[in-house]
Amino acid sequence: MIKLLGVVLILFAGTMLGFQQAAKYAERPRQLRQLAHALQRLETEIGYGHTPLPEALKRTAAASPEPISSMLLSAASGVEREEGLGFQESWKQAVLRHWSETSMRGSEQAALLRLGSTLGISDKEDQMKHLRLALLQLKAEEDAARDDQGRYEKMWKSLGILIAVLIVILMV
Amino acid sequence: MLSRIAHLLPLELKALLERMPENAREGLEEIRIREGRPLEIGYLGQSRFASPDGSLRESADGAYKPSGDLCRKLLEKLTNYSLYAMEEELRRGYITVTGGHRVGLAGRTILDGGSVRGIRDIGAFNIRIAREVVGSSSLLVPKLVDRQRQTLHSTLILAPPQQGKTTLVRDMARSVSYGLWGLPEGAKWRGRKVGIVDERSEIAACVRGVPTFDVGPRTDVMDACPKAEGMMMLLRSMSPELLIADEIGRAEDGEAIREASHAGVSVIATAHAYDLQDARGRPVLRSLIDDGAFECVVELKRTPSGIMHRVVKGGAASTVHSLPGAAREPASPVWRLPAPEQAAALVRMRDDDP
Repeated sequence: MIKLLGVVLILFAGTMLGFQQAAKYAERPRQLRQLAHALQRLETEIGYGHTPLPEALKRTAAASPEPISSMLLSAASGVEREEGLGFQESWKQAVLRHWSETSMRGSEQAALLRLGSTLGISDKEDQMKHLRLALLQLKAEEDAARDDQGRYEKMWKSLGILIAVLIVILMV
Repeated sequence: MLSRIAHLLPLELKALLERMPENAREGLEEIRIREGRPLEIGYLGQSRFASPDGSLRESADGAYKPSGDLCRKLLEKLTNYSLYAMEEELRRGYITVTGGHRVGLAGRTILDGGSVRGIRDIGAFNIRIAREVVGSSSLLVPKLVDRQRQTLHSTLILAPPQQGKTTLVRDMARSVSYGLWGLPEGAKWRGRKVGIVDERSEIAACVRGVPTFDVGPRTDVMDACPKAEGMMMLLRSMSPELLIADEIGRAEDGEAIREASHAGVSVIATAHAYDLQDARGRPVLRSLIDDGAFECVVELKRTPSGIMHRVVKGGAASTVHSLPGAAREPASPVWRLPAPEQAAALVRMRDDDP
């Protein structure tokens, strides 16, 4: 009886592990897409609305889903706090703090940090160029992420349960 | 005074300025920040260099020198982290921040087809603190009243930079708008509709189109609008009875002022010039004065005891100061102090004056 319970537990755990890994592969392209949308919105706010950066970030955050929303919001509120952070530092802190909540990887983080060092400190055309560059990078990452999703999502789903079955067979 | 602009300054600079002596903090007029060079403070009409401990000295030795990083942070804060939203301002070389304070900028310019497109590598800032002195025009307004039309004469106010022109016209707008004419017979006159063309957002210090300074209840402000165009727009749209414009000087400004004066609207304008003689050296001002577009010319001069003014009626005719009583009373100064306490003294002094 106890043996049967153990088998069920192992199978359950293995399946869950597989699904979780698969979910990460499914989540990444989605978040990259959302981030790209957010940057596009920011580009509109900057290029056509001439909205000041903190305000533009807040508006973009309001229109974006979590966790991107809270990342943008904390970048905007960082400069309004007392410590007198520059925008670049505020942006960096926000990205690093909220990164663990996302399923994104190091390469898109690097692109975002690079963008942070240029936002707000040059004229409109330059800002648009930097935002477009970041968008292109995100797009490339998204394509790669979709490939990975097609390749690994199914694999992880079955791999989890198969490993669990293997463990059960070895133990019995 | 310092507290009004403290939110614009990086922490380091703010802490230093807060260590300055009380009178410097209260009388603060200008903060001149130059990257890698001594920090200069203008207060109460004097200029000193600030050392790291907040003391103010005549000599630049041992003065605090702002770093490049501080200047970068200051620029970010002044532009609200959005240089791209300030392109027009950068092209003109200054930005006006919330509260009407003007920040002049200098650095390396970017040229586009021979004309300045903006400034980058900004290395020098001049923060000028705007102040609202209610009643600063109380002595001047009665002298400019046109009794027949129950409004003010068209007036040109002349002074070098930093003599209180903007403060004065702001208070004039307020007085006329409220109907405070400063005359016994004017007590029952109503206020007049005032239109302000505030190209540099200094007179009314509008935030999102709403004035933050008290410019009176009958005042409309065209914010951040080129003067000539703004005057025409206000004339057509808001039916002002008095138009106020700061720092005229271009040919199109002159055209707009002529247009307004032919439309029966009084115009009060300021211009940079030491005195009337000096103003005549500028073609636009000269033709306006000679055409009689301005019935009065006011010269401002700043002295340690306050801002003094001198009214010249009928700029086209002569430069004789036709102040009543001035000729018969040689002891009475031609220059008048507009500050209220001095006003009282003057009135007493002139009690016997018919």
